[in-house]
Amino acid sequence: MSALVIKGVSKHFGGVAAVSDVNMEVPPGKVTGLIGPNGAGKTTLINLITGVLTVSEGSIHFGAQDITEVPAYKVARAGISRTFQNIRLLAEASVIDNVMIGFYRNEKTTTPASLLGLHSARRETAALRDRANKLLERFGMSKFADQEAGGLAYGHQRRVEMMRALASDPALILLDEPVAGMNDVEAGELGEIFRGLARNGMGVLLIEHNVRFVTTLCDFVYVLDSGRMIASGSPEQIVNDPAVITAYLGS
Amino acid sequence: MSDFFTVYHHLFNTFLLGSGYALSQWVVMRAGVFSVATAGLASIGAYCAAILTTKLGWPHPLSILAGTLLGTLTGLLLSVPLARLRGVFQAIATLAFVQIVVAVGLFSDSLTGGAIGLNAIPILVGTKENLLALLCTIYVLLAIGATRVGRAFEAIRQDEAVASSLGVSVTFHQSLAFGLSGAIAGLFGGLEAFQTFTLFPNTYGFGLIVAALSYVVLGGRRSVAGPIVGTAILLILPEVSRPLADYRNALYGVIMMLVIAFMPRGIVDTGLLYLRRRRLAAKAAAESRQ
Repeated sequence: MSALVIKGVSKHFGGVAAVSDVNMEVPPGKVTGLIGPNGAGKTTLINLITGVLTVSEGSIHFGAQDITEVPAYKVARAGISRTFQNIRLLAEASVIDNVMIGFYRNEKTTTPASLLGLHSARRETAALRDRANKLLERFGMSKFADQEAGGLAYGHQRRVEMMRALASDPALILLDEPVAGMNDVEAGELGEIFRGLARNGMGVLLIEHNVRFVTTLCDFVYVLDSGRMIASGSPEQIVNDPAVITAYLGS
Repeated sequence: MSDFFTVYHHLFNTFLLGSGYALSQWVVMRAGVFSVATAGLASIGAYCAAILTTKLGWPHPLSILAGTLLGTLTGLLLSVPLARLRGVFQAIATLAFVQIVVAVGLFSDSLTGGAIGLNAIPILVGTKENLLALLCTIYVLLAIGATRVGRAFEAIRQDEAVASSLGVSVTFHQSLAFGLSGAIAGLFGGLEAFQTFTLFPNTYGFGLIVAALSYVVLGGRRSVAGPIVGTAILLILPEVSRPLADYRNALYGVIMMLVIAFMPRGIVDTGLLYLRRRRLAAKAAAESRQ
């Protein structure tokens, strides 16, 4: 399992610095938190890691691999998966098809085999359908398998997105505000799932602005404000840090 | 039955060729590309096949194969500059491509016969070949839909950001879709060349763009059956009711407006969706009774 290491990363949009000189590390087997007020640059940082945006300065490594300049689909193939702040499902596709596209990264079928509809390609598709059904069962979503994902309730859509990210069997998962709009009970259930992933060796980066949720769940927390890293440390250190209190409550 | 075929033989061949062009249009849209290049790619396939046989004496199956390959290659090349464009900009760029192909056809008289047309092409292809080509095309498109590449196409069409966040290369798959579209258009262009005596550059102009798009929009953009049903309806309607034929274009226009307003998914996809929802509702009702 590999760690994500971010060194001196900046991103300018014209003259505006959305993220400046950020250093952070996301180790495997731990839940790392990234908090900050709205507009702090959290989602920008995620987009820089996943190759959606290009880095202006600095470097990003995943294990031994330099992913600073790597396009989004190759970052995903390196084993970094993400969820989106505003849930993004394939709205017209069924729930099970939404999960199945998650397996794409590890599929063995070659393009010619798929074009010719060879037996091996069809067999793999059938095997993936079975695995998707098992995943649906684990998340208690079996009865929605054939429904259009776009028509599901909000909480169920969140789960579908999570299953899709897990289906890609990532080494590192980036969760962009996964419990936004959920009550404490629902958030707690998801939190348990995240802890379980970390116990199994996966790196988890949790982006939130709900300080309480992050401090109860994370092993280590970074705080971003106006594009700068203003604090980092254990949850206890963070909640008592005067800079963090100022950022959240004003001076 | 044999009477039926002697009367409607020509119409059936037109339907088979039209279905081919519709599927060429469909496959790019399936991968989320708004290209209208099918007409230009078909023209390239048709002229390539006809020229190789009439001027160089190639046997016609080989010429058709060459037309298919040239269509594929052109589609792949076209995808390189178009990879940076999206939506309506892709449509405009591919529209320009079709106009360029028409213009080249008109002005290179020595090769293509220009506006007078490329004449005296032997009639060597009939219903059997058309049907075989259409069945092969349908097989490949169904195979794609049932396996890995189809899932990638579907993800890209619905949300590119999601697709790439899961490791799907948008550029690769859109190039692949362009190549497939070129192969299908080139194949059916080549077949058409050997059943019309004469090729005119404008046969593959704006009219074919509109026709191929209409077939897909009317029939549906998801299932393979969509474009074929769309072709059947738009071609057969004016034939079965002769008075309508005089108003063919007006009729197309009215049908398109009605479909876009009331059935934006197209006839086949709307029907399939209705059946699926009914099945799910029945299943849910059965479960709640238990």
